[in-house]
Amino acid sequence: MEGVQRPGRLRAYARFLGLAFAVNVKSVLEYRVNFLVQFFGMMLNNAAFAAFWAVIIGRAGAVGGYGFTDVMFVWGLVSTSFGLAHVLAGNVRMLGKIVMEGGLDVYLLQPKDVMVNLLASRTVVSAWGDFVYGFIVLALLPGTDLARLALFCALALPGALIFAATFAAAESLAFFMGNAQAIASALSEFMLSFSLYPEGVFGKGYRWIMYSLVPSAFVAFVPLRIYRAMDWRFVPLLWAIALVYAALSYALFQAGLKRYESGNRVDTRI
Amino acid sequence: MTKLGARLCCYGVAASTAIRDRTAYAGNFSASMLTYGLFVFIFSRVWSGAYESQSTIAGYTRSMVVWYFIIAEITSFGFGRYFWNLARDVKSGQVAYLLARPYDFVGYHYAERVGGSFVDAAIILAEGLAIGLLLAGPLPAAVEGGSLMAGFGRAGLLALSLVLAGSLNFYLQFALALTAFWLEENDALYWIFQKFALIVGTLIPIEFLPEQAARAALWTPFPYLSYAPARIFVAFSWAEAGSLLARQAIWVVLAMLLARFVFALGSRRVALNGG
Repeated sequence: MEGVQRPGRLRAYARFLGLAFAVNVKSVLEYRVNFLVQFFGMMLNNAAFAAFWAVIIGRAGAVGGYGFTDVMFVWGLVSTSFGLAHVLAGNVRMLGKIVMEGGLDVYLLQPKDVMVNLLASRTVVSAWGDFVYGFIVLALLPGTDLARLALFCALALPGALIFAATFAAAESLAFFMGNAQAIASALSEFMLSFSLYPEGVFGKGYRWIMYSLVPSAFVAFVPLRIYRAMDWRFVPLLWAIALVYAALSYALFQAGLKRYESGNRVDTRI
Repeated sequence: MTKLGARLCCYGVAASTAIRDRTAYAGNFSASMLTYGLFVFIFSRVWSGAYESQSTIAGYTRSMVVWYFIIAEITSFGFGRYFWNLARDVKSGQVAYLLARPYDFVGYHYAERVGGSFVDAAIILAEGLAIGLLLAGPLPAAVEGGSLMAGFGRAGLLALSLVLAGSLNFYLQFALALTAFWLEENDALYWIFQKFALIVGTLIPIEFLPEQAARAALWTPFPYLSYAPARIFVAFSWAEAGSLLARQAIWVVLAMLLARFVFALGSRRVALNGG
């Protein structure tokens, strides 16, 4: 019986996520100028750092074992993963604020899983620019072909899951600490910043943290090694790691949810 | 009290109120302090990587370039983000209430916002000096020797340069924010401005840029936002500091005139309908 219910449940969730995404897209396209400004603005933001790296590597040759192509690949992959996480789970960095302000009540009354429902109910407009930027960078890198594009996508998906899981876990601290905005934004900032710079520049003493608590290694450093070697064998392992982070994040959210107290706030979702 | 005296008194009160407000809620600034500390740490590591095979790049040692970054970022973190509040006031219509008040709009906002930023900039400067001593070692020596006079001169001119950089940043962001009188969405203008400011003198000294780009950059206001104070700090000489400060002052005056011009044109478009 369980086996029969499960595919149906998965289908229902897939349909729900598809509908939530479609509603979010309609909502952002309602303000087209704002969408285009943020879309291109974010790409410009990322491109500014490409200019920085071009100058530094032009002067120094390589930094921390990365050449310009490596840096651009990492920026592209991290942009796409980070963008995808915020396009599909736009509430991921609002989660703590929603919990703190008692805004979870509206999701508790609905039949879908609270965490999935909450995360998927918003999209971040500028993240669309991040998402596309990665593909533009990839197209401009030398030697890009369909096989490399496929590998890039296979690496970006677990990256997005790890970003979403880590940010959600950091934000879920609000269940336990009340106002956890400072620590959550610090963890998110660390995660993103460590991902965007060459692994080699961080001493070995710091690196353990990037393979555990702030898993920048699995969204940037390890994917770069896989991409350089064009070695698909480690991709399933990366997916497994992403699922572990997602499961841990989900468990933390569920543990926190038991401590949640309603704010008796009246909200509507239109 | 003369009219000018009354006006200066009004601006003084605005600035001191903003300073007391920042001091009372200093904890609100902890996120910026953390981000600043993180950036300094990461860039110090990046520079270590870049200097692995050479001791100087474009005349800068590793220690100089880390100190450069520490000072250059003070303008962004301490005197940085005026655009959003100003643009929001225009877009929301709040500006209509502010226009009716008996003070000079541009002058009052300058006193209030730049005055409040002094607290932020002082906190960031103190944090930067502490982190710099840990990550980059002793302060870089002045080009003209390590006399007491040069030491005091460098500190004083650095403070003056930071104030000029903050003022320039304010007036440029003010002019950009007030384009909201014409454009519904003007965020992109700020983003472009911010990125130019970042590349031209904040993340890297302009000497690192290709020669023609560096020469062209000197004719824009961007080097005077971050490069000038950072350069005064890491390679102090009286002649260069004087030249940089003079150019900064000229840009501040030009930016102030631009801000007043944009305000004069834009404020004519405000329609008050009571309420």
